Amino acid sequence: MAFKSILVVGGGISGVTAAVEASEAGNEVYLVEKESYLGGKVTQINQYFPKLCPPNCGLEINFKRIKQNPLIRVFTLSEIESIEGQEGDFTVTVKSNPRYVNQNCTACGKCAEVCPVERPNDFNYGVDKTGAIYKAHEFAFPMKYVIDDKVCLGAECGKCVSVCEYDAIELDMTPKSFKVNVGSIVWATGWDPYDATKVDYYGFGQYPNVITNVMMERLAASNGPTGGKIVRPSDGKEVKSIAFVQCAGSRDENHLTYCSGVCCMASLKQSTYVKSQYPDAKVSMFYIDVRAMGKHEEFYLKVQDDINMIKGKVGEITEDPLTHDLTIQVENQLTGENMKEKVDMVVLATGMVPATARTKIPFETTYDEDGFIASDSQKPGIYGAGCVKKPLDVASSVKDSTAAALKAIQSTVRR
Amino acid sequence: MDEVKEVSLEMRDYIVSSGADTLSLCMQCGLCTNLCPYRLVTGEVSEAFNIRKMQRLGQLGLEGFEEENILFACVTCGMCLVNCPREVEIINNVRSMRNTTVAAGFLPGGLRPIAGSLHANGNPWAGEQEKRAKWQDGLDIPAFSEETEYLLYVCCTSCYDTRSQKIAKSVVKLLKQAGVSFGVLTSDEVCCGESIRKLGDEELFTKLAQSNIQLFNSKGVKKIITTSPHCLFSFKKDYPELGGNFEAVHYTELLGDLLKEGKLSIPGELAKKVAFHDPCYLGRHNEVYDAPRELLQAVPGAELLELGRTKNKSLCCGGGGGRVWAEVPFGERFGELRITDAVDKKADILVTACPYCITMLDDACSGLEKGDVLEVMELSEFLCAASQPKV
Repeated sequence: MAFKSILVVGGGISGVTAAVEASEAGNEVYLVEKESYLGGKVTQINQYFPKLCPPNCGLEINFKRIKQNPLIRVFTLSEIESIEGQEGDFTVTVKSNPRYVNQNCTACGKCAEVCPVERPNDFNYGVDKTGAIYKAHEFAFPMKYVIDDKVCLGAECGKCVSVCEYDAIELDMTPKSFKVNVGSIVWATGWDPYDATKVDYYGFGQYPNVITNVMMERLAASNGPTGGKIVRPSDGKEVKSIAFVQCAGSRDENHLTYCSGVCCMASLKQSTYVKSQYPDAKVSMFYIDVRAMGKHEEFYLKVQDDINMIKGKVGEITEDPLTHDLTIQVENQLTGENMKEKVDMVVLATGMVPATARTKIPFETTYDEDGFIASDSQKPGIYGAGCVKKPLDVASSVKDSTAAALKAIQSTVRR
Repeated sequence: MDEVKEVSLEMRDYIVSSGADTLSLCMQCGLCTNLCPYRLVTGEVSEAFNIRKMQRLGQLGLEGFEEENILFACVTCGMCLVNCPREVEIINNVRSMRNTTVAAGFLPGGLRPIAGSLHANGNPWAGEQEKRAKWQDGLDIPAFSEETEYLLYVCCTSCYDTRSQKIAKSVVKLLKQAGVSFGVLTSDEVCCGESIRKLGDEELFTKLAQSNIQLFNSKGVKKIITTSPHCLFSFKKDYPELGGNFEAVHYTELLGDLLKEGKLSIPGELAKKVAFHDPCYLGRHNEVYDAPRELLQAVPGAELLELGRTKNKSLCCGGGGGRVWAEVPFGERFGELRITDAVDKKADILVTACPYCITMLDDACSGLEKGDVLEVMELSEFLCAASQPKV
């Protein structure tokens, strides 16, 4: 007899989708997420393309499906230590890291007010800071605070413990490992943005006003570090001119050889964020080719009329050290003109790196040369879903994960 | 709008057959043109020369690339090459396109005496072959033999140019100081041929290279120390194509290793602010970035400054690809930007490790009349200066 339960690793939109779909077909699901909240990268997005609606409502629906479904067990702050066995009979060791905050937490926030420590807010890509005890973000699910034990001063400080009215903080929590038996596994650990410092001629990390597309999502989000106002990181000034630099480390033999397929649409979408806040701003997008596939053509045609579309891969970006204004060196391939374009801010369209390039599945698995789970050599019983297989947008990830859920269910009834 | 031109696939095929194997990989994104040092200067050549467009003309066999300001503008600094998203061998393509006209006898007027001297004397500087080793008089340098580990191959420039001879002498002194087993074959050597190959004269390069390969093989040379990163490039990357397989190192690499092993120490002190200019052929083309810096920092009192464009982003001095012989109007020379940067950073000395860079930076420094605040030195000279007692 095969085990009926399914393990889903990764609680982003792909993992959440696989979990709810499989559980609603009657399978018990363990959903394991390394962060303190579910939703992954999607929680950091301001709006979806092409509808320009916020992702929160979709996530809320999914979280509601999880809450209503007794078959799903969620483990946040957890990771997979080992996998043994085969299709139908896997034994998986899960390590659950301490949150230091228990079920009593009401997210009142009094603890954070007294915390003396600061840490860069990774949810906002380090643009702002939080305390050592913090709420990951406004819509965190589960809605509980968490302590970053790398910076927390511990029991010696204890200020949060004394101020908490609900006895919710337990500084002596320790990591726990436990085993689960499952019939199949869905691996949906998602992606990381390509490290833009590697494209060194663009000056990311040196020039404060060169940011990446994922950072732009946070700047534009109402729950972001600026309350949704798009301003220059160097001085907080309004943006009068901005350049979107496409293929920053993509389609490039020295960086990511592939096209991530979403960055053109993301930049077109982000140009609408800028235009809606600053209708007179000069928005330029520099590209090799615009890849707005399928039905996205309509969005591309609509947006391109409002902005400056310039065909040409940007060369060097330089900064005036006094004003932090940026100058872009680029050749307009349609006119042959060599341009030096001065702008307030640059957004680098960086691509997607599979999380499996960094953290592999602790089980024999085949990957392609870029670290994506190879589609043709999956082990029976372990299925990749979403961006660990190839770069995908959210809608495609959801479909891919639904398909992975079906494969996972089949693995639980094969014998 | 450019005028309409005829596409010539025969021309394209001819360029490709001359060595431009990767020409068709170019997707015309233009990154090359926008990382090109010509974007940092103004002038006629900067306006005419567009490396992206040159690849395009080659791909379609269109005329226009053979204009001197376009065809012979590239300094082969490699900034485009190392960053090209399609790994197009841009410099090979330039070389091949130059070859299509040079092989037909159309070397630009200003370069003909250079090629003539290489044919007649085995060096580009119109120096007599008998005087190639003249700089060694009184230095007591052993001839290379089966018992010596390294051949010290000295660049033509440092054999004939009086300013540049100081480099050769300083390198010899340091190698002796570190106890390196080396010898020379200078009077029988000819130019490595690196620059003339970049200029597109494949035939002349082959003649020079074969002469050296034959000499080296007949004497049993296995390992070579070069004073110039250009000779290093040639021995490492060009000579194997002709069957010459030698283990070549730039003197900075060897001295850097010996420093780490404790076999080289710099006794004296030189309390100066020193900026290092990475030569393209040492840095981008051979990926040596750390050794020269470690040597500089081994000098007590020396404070290392980094220029604005450094290491793999270093700005070319303007002397590669045969441009060391080009007449460039004042105000359009890359070297001037380097001097200005070093002066702005308040460096006392601008150190580099290539005879061409020395020539170009010296010219720029005196042209800008900055000689009173900035000294240009070759690394070996700097290390020797530190070793000597103060007068």
